[in-house]
Amino acid sequence: MIAIENRSTDPFYNLAFEEYVFTTVLEQDVLLLWRNAPCIVVGSGQNICRETSVPMLRRRGIPALRRISGGGAVYHDLGNINYTFLTRQEGSTDYGRSLAPILAALRAAGVPAQRSRVCDLAIGEKKISGSAQRSAGGRLLHHGTLLFDADLTALETFSVRGKSDCVRTKGTRSAICEVTNIRPHLAEDISVEEFQRRLMDQLVPSAGDRIRLTEEQEEEVLRLRDEKYRGWMWTWGRTPAFTYERQGEFAGAPFSAAYRCRRGVLSDVSVTCPLLDSRAAKALFSGARLDPEGLARSCRDLAGERAEELFSLLL
Amino acid sequence: MEKQLTLPRLREEMSSGVLCAWLKEEGEAVEAGEPLYEIETDKVVNQIEASEAGVLKRQLCEEGDELAPGAPVALLETE
Repeated sequence: MIAIENRSTDPFYNLAFEEYVFTTVLEQDVLLLWRNAPCIVVGSGQNICRETSVPMLRRRGIPALRRISGGGAVYHDLGNINYTFLTRQEGSTDYGRSLAPILAALRAAGVPAQRSRVCDLAIGEKKISGSAQRSAGGRLLHHGTLLFDADLTALETFSVRGKSDCVRTKGTRSAICEVTNIRPHLAEDISVEEFQRRLMDQLVPSAGDRIRLTEEQEEEVLRLRDEKYRGWMWTWGRTPAFTYERQGEFAGAPFSAAYRCRRGVLSDVSVTCPLLDSRAAKALFSGARLDPEGLARSCRDLAGERAEELFSLLL
Repeated sequence: MEKQLTLPRLREEMSSGVLCAWLKEEGEAVEAGEPLYEIETDKVVNQIEASEAGVLKRQLCEEGDELAPGAPVALLETE
């Protein structure tokens, strides 16, 4: 197995990097170890609006991204290490085979980890790692998270408490599990960078097997980042169809909103509140894209300085 | 000739899968081996390829639908 090094912490770049290597480096088994600045990453078939609170993410400046594998929504930050194995697909899905090398590397690094549920790793009853896969063109992508020193309060806020019950949708639901960080379970207190180095030493011991992408390859990653991962279509346009219904208060007045969303476009919009122009709202939101920035602008047009309050009632 | 494509059983224990993406639109030509749709089961997204060439006549399910192995997925018009 070779390792391809990636020191970026930009989640958009990193998802593009992983997909680029998955689809172009086809002759070797490849390991990637990488970390993301704070973000939420949802599974390929998930509805971001149900799995997290879009208004809360917006307030905190945390992006939501869609990955190419299955599974549920996860919170990443620099205290979390992601690992990716890119290999040939041999037979049908077997998480045991994919998890064996990372489990061995964790144990060698002094982590008392064991398998739990279908494809999680845990210390005792508490999850430290979740994983998911993609199988295409005879290649298998297996990747997972490793909570080393992540902000578990943020994780809980965005991926558990942030869930919306106003969204009725198909698509994959996330599981909610009790989690822990690896760091307090180690005999020796080390940094996340040092832990990442130790995992690399276990998985790809020879420095000669650790390579980097060429400049031309990096250009391709940047193109994929900009066209797919930073673009609207992949992240929001792929949202499974849903209906939204919300009752509440806007500026102390009774408020209700409902709409449908299909292929990332809103329809059948109704916004009812004595303080808002319902016809203007319908005109602004009908046919609008499910795009937080665009919807926030429309909220400013409708509600002025109370735009954020309105936005938080619409998503 | 019209041929009905069904959801393959991807592993022994598979009870269902969610069709997460259509990769071809109705009316589009498909080559044998070309990816047709994606199905998610047990956190794995599997790209399913067409076993023969033809035209995708009809998609029999929508993105987000949960299907059992053997369920009809598409109609393919083959030569």
